[in-house]
Amino acid sequence: MTTIDLKNLTITKAHEALKKGDFTAVELAQTYLEEVKKKDGGINAYREVFADVLEQAKAADAKIKAAHEAGKDFGLLLGIPCAIKDNIMIQGRIAGASSKILENYHATYDATVTAKLKEQGVIFLGRTNMDEFAMGGSTENSAYGPTKNPHDLTRVAGGSSGGSAAALAMDGALFTLGSDTGGSIRQPASFCGVIGLKPTYGAVSRSGVMAMGSSLDQIGPFAKTIEDCKIVFDAIKGKDPKDGTTISETTYSIKDIGSKKPVIGVPRHFLKGDGIDSAVMEAFEKSLESFKAKGYEVKEITLPNIAYSLMVYYVIMPAEVSSNMARFDGMRFGLHVDGKDGIDDYFESRRAGLGREVIRRILLGTYVLSSGYYDAYYNRANAVRKMITDDFLKAFKEVDVIATPTAPSPAFKIGEKTNDPVAMYLEDIFTVTANITGMPAISVPCGSAHKEGKDLPIGLQLTARHGEEEMLFRVGEDVGQ
Amino acid sequence: MITIPELETLATLARIKLTDADKQSLVKEFDSILAYVDQLKKVDVSLDAEGRVGAVKNIMRPDESQDTSGADRDAILDEAPDREGDFIAVKKIIAQD
Repeated sequence: MTTIDLKNLTITKAHEALKKGDFTAVELAQTYLEEVKKKDGGINAYREVFADVLEQAKAADAKIKAAHEAGKDFGLLLGIPCAIKDNIMIQGRIAGASSKILENYHATYDATVTAKLKEQGVIFLGRTNMDEFAMGGSTENSAYGPTKNPHDLTRVAGGSSGGSAAALAMDGALFTLGSDTGGSIRQPASFCGVIGLKPTYGAVSRSGVMAMGSSLDQIGPFAKTIEDCKIVFDAIKGKDPKDGTTISETTYSIKDIGSKKPVIGVPRHFLKGDGIDSAVMEAFEKSLESFKAKGYEVKEITLPNIAYSLMVYYVIMPAEVSSNMARFDGMRFGLHVDGKDGIDDYFESRRAGLGREVIRRILLGTYVLSSGYYDAYYNRANAVRKMITDDFLKAFKEVDVIATPTAPSPAFKIGEKTNDPVAMYLEDIFTVTANITGMPAISVPCGSAHKEGKDLPIGLQLTARHGEEEMLFRVGEDVGQ
Repeated sequence: MITIPELETLATLARIKLTDADKQSLVKEFDSILAYVDQLKKVDVSLDAEGRVGAVKNIMRPDESQDTSGADRDAILDEAPDREGDFIAVKKIIAQD
């Protein structure tokens, strides 16, 4: 067997190699399993590596052989090893959301994204670590320990999809899936030096994915190249009768700019805070320079209400969390802890099964939704949400994408922000806007910060109009160098 | 800002048991989070905005029963902490005289 260079492997390269017979799906899967075995002890990207990976790969090889014999081509994802976040269900396997309350819960059906990937013939290597129920920005809220950053093991991988980002960055999978409610794909992608896409709200079905903030959640891919990112996005997107919020190709009219260079908008007024690391701003400015050198017009824009985005998010998100988390009752599925009577079973089970951050958000959501506070918080947040969305729509009349840094800093130290919820929440300052507006956004590596002898990746975030992921891919190809 | 009795009411509504130590730290955390989101009160808004994200708004589906085959039903029931036949078993909630 030839050695497979995982570092430089992409989905398209692997597909070509499988087609030419340079290696088999079994050999590819085996190489990934060995890499995970070697590295994951120190990184903790995986919650579980599945025991049947080689059987899955054998089935893929059989399909590849059959295609060869019939003289036919086969799908780009056939035999490609991937990993998915622990809140996405695969029938019969444990889906735990990195929470004690679902420690032994077996998914009773496939998520739509899982079913679509199965149809393509991917290899599921395992499920990845995350902040419990996707609540957090560092994966330190996992009930099973934090995921460490492959670029510096003393730092976080970001969150909440930290395991998915780290699994890809450590060459422990060829692509991964995550979920993004306020930045949970893009911020870990930025920290780990990979590409992460939060699609348009409704572009990808959420059936079979554990709900956190239902008006904010989206599923999306982590990949090494824009091309790979697009391949996975195309495989998982589409209208689904099981998710009433899914959109079709015609829901949004796409602005056709032809071969004209897209115009890049920059909300300078929002990038002046002293909370932004100087290395991040330096990498950001260099990216803008490089866009200009490639003939792009870079234009300053104003988003008058953008500074309220994170406040809106920290009202709407906990409100939705508090209702979504009501299903964990210790009776129908998941952990049960006996109390003195029926109602006490709820109190004991939820107390024992849910972590601190989850409890904090449930209570905060219960507070903002309680009578007397509803208008002051929830209703007001919804109104400001609309104002922010209108600001973006107005800006998008003049520009085609909006660029900001993905996160205000490179990966921070493990434990650095765990005692200060607001400091942790500020991690999402640039990413929440896309969830508030429902617009698609992508994080693309654009540079690095040299800290304590390590090179830490920095991401550039691009946001586009609803339904315009293609614009993100097009401009994303031109980031850096 | 929030008081301990208010927090206890929220915890009862949310069905979560809190220890005294939890309450002390939660009150402090609530204060810092609420101080942050309270800045929203400065915005001049009309409070009749419809809750929608992009073109997506809340819709209803017909309330129709769907066939759940034996295998699916069994898989779902098997996830319950306590099961009796085709039922999920819970504690008695009606007191006897």
